[in-house]
Amino acid sequence: MSHSGLLSPRGQVLMFAALALLVFTAFPFAWMASTALKPSREIFVTPPTLWPTHVTLDNLGRLFAETRFLTYFRNSLIVSFTTVGLTLLVSVPAAYGLTRFRFHGREMIAGLILFTYMFAPIMIIIPFYVAMRFLGLTNTHLGLILAYTAFCLPFSLWLLRTFFQSIPLEIEEAARIDGSRLQAVIHVVLPLALPGVVATGTFTFILAWNDYIFARVLLSADEMKTLPVGIADLYNASVVDWGMIMAAGVLVIAPVAAVFVFIQRFLVVGWGSGGMKG
Amino acid sequence: MGSEPFRLPEAAVGFLLILPAILLLLSLTLYPVLYGVWISFFNKHSFFPQQTFIWLDNYIFLLRDPEFWASVWRGTVYALSTIMLQIVLGVAAALLLNELFPGRNILRGIVIFPYVVPTVVAVIVWKWLLNSRFGLINYLIEKAGLVDQPISFMGKDWIMVSLIIVSVWQFFPFVVIGVLARLQTIPEELYDAAKVDGGNAWQRFVYVTLPQLKSVLFVIVLLRSIWMFTKFDTPWLMIQGGGAETYIRTLPIYTYMRTFAYYEAGLGSAMAVVMFLALAGAAVLYFRIWRREENL
Repeated sequence: MSHSGLLSPRGQVLMFAALALLVFTAFPFAWMASTALKPSREIFVTPPTLWPTHVTLDNLGRLFAETRFLTYFRNSLIVSFTTVGLTLLVSVPAAYGLTRFRFHGREMIAGLILFTYMFAPIMIIIPFYVAMRFLGLTNTHLGLILAYTAFCLPFSLWLLRTFFQSIPLEIEEAARIDGSRLQAVIHVVLPLALPGVVATGTFTFILAWNDYIFARVLLSADEMKTLPVGIADLYNASVVDWGMIMAAGVLVIAPVAAVFVFIQRFLVVGWGSGGMKG
Repeated sequence: MGSEPFRLPEAAVGFLLILPAILLLLSLTLYPVLYGVWISFFNKHSFFPQQTFIWLDNYIFLLRDPEFWASVWRGTVYALSTIMLQIVLGVAAALLLNELFPGRNILRGIVIFPYVVPTVVAVIVWKWLLNSRFGLINYLIEKAGLVDQPISFMGKDWIMVSLIIVSVWQFFPFVVIGVLARLQTIPEELYDAAKVDGGNAWQRFVYVTLPQLKSVLFVIVLLRSIWMFTKFDTPWLMIQGGGAETYIRTLPIYTYMRTFAYYEAGLGSAMAVVMFLALAGAAVLYFRIWRREENL
């Protein structure tokens, strides 16, 4: 690949295409942030101002004072982090078991991943809802956490398995000469697998943080709602307060943006293992 | 640790390690799926426990329900158009991001971002951009003289187009990730050979790049199809707060409405089963055609 100079015709075409792609993907976010920072009257002026002439945090203030946004935020944090914890608690030992012991697990997980692909949320949600209602787990965070954990387990097993496989068996065996197997795992294997564990946890977090349908169906009380459902309902409530809704949007994607930087180098492996759905 | 009085056999340890995962999967994935098939044979209320076994009546009802077929049609239009556009745009973006230019690595990150934000954010941002009275896009196209009157993007004539725009924006990064990863593994020598043979850029793409992308595109078409045919949240959230709801009522939306607005869990489950069978059937057919192509 030859490095194209900026002024060559080919370089110009490249830069133009790159600019178009940048505007298409990033501009909607920029417009959201800009609207969130505008005072109400400036939001509706013609011609629209690209950047607020008077930057204000009024929208944010209204969001905190007049809605349950902070409750939704807290609920989302609780549900997402518990899902990550539970998923890892179950899948780290299982993935280790699947790599270090003889099993016919490989085909089983591969099949399960295909299975969860085929069973998109809309197909599984009805029996799941009926079962959760029977168990008295509708309108609880526990029900939601169980749903997300079930949904994330197949890919998290698969992803962790590939990370454990990349740790040479000799390193673990050497560590076991000096101590018990458990010690070898805790002091040698897990630290080596840590990036993989964190990557898996991040994919799980994003799936739980972003989900709409499970939360929509399983939760009804306003004080239980997570962010996607809470914001959708804010939008639907009477006249849309665009400034406030955009401020909410900015805050919802902030945690995703923060963890996104970390998983960028794991995107391809996550892509291949079903860590990204939808 | 010293001498242990009792040790579990190796296989037992391994089994105990994966047992919790297996139990969770059985109870939270496999059981609901089978239970869903079971209740599709019942006339069952979504909230109340009573149910009556009605054989295949739910399925027969669907076959005769014009709204079911209309929703299948809308869903097919939505899925096929978004899949096609995602792939065209995704491959083009991946080809661009495979070239060297200043800021490439930052752009690679930015391009993926629409895919990882919650659907509700994608939808509200675009609803604001496409707003008929105060939306930026209406302002721009009016200013450019393309239209005399603002377009009602959420109205019945445009809502499907708007939905497709939002969906393509949201999901084309999935294609970019897969294709870009594959592009980076194509050996440079293949292009050098093509250049020696005097091929232009388009010919190099068609004869060198495209054959190399075949297998990744196979996976992309399969996964995107499954997800676009079963997509619920994007169309559902687009519908909210507008009157053009029936114009984007795809099969997943109709399934949801039957279950959670009309409380017909049995009928809803039957639709979910139909969706699964149709997808599984299409997937098998797709695999078979692919295998035949490979043999040629």
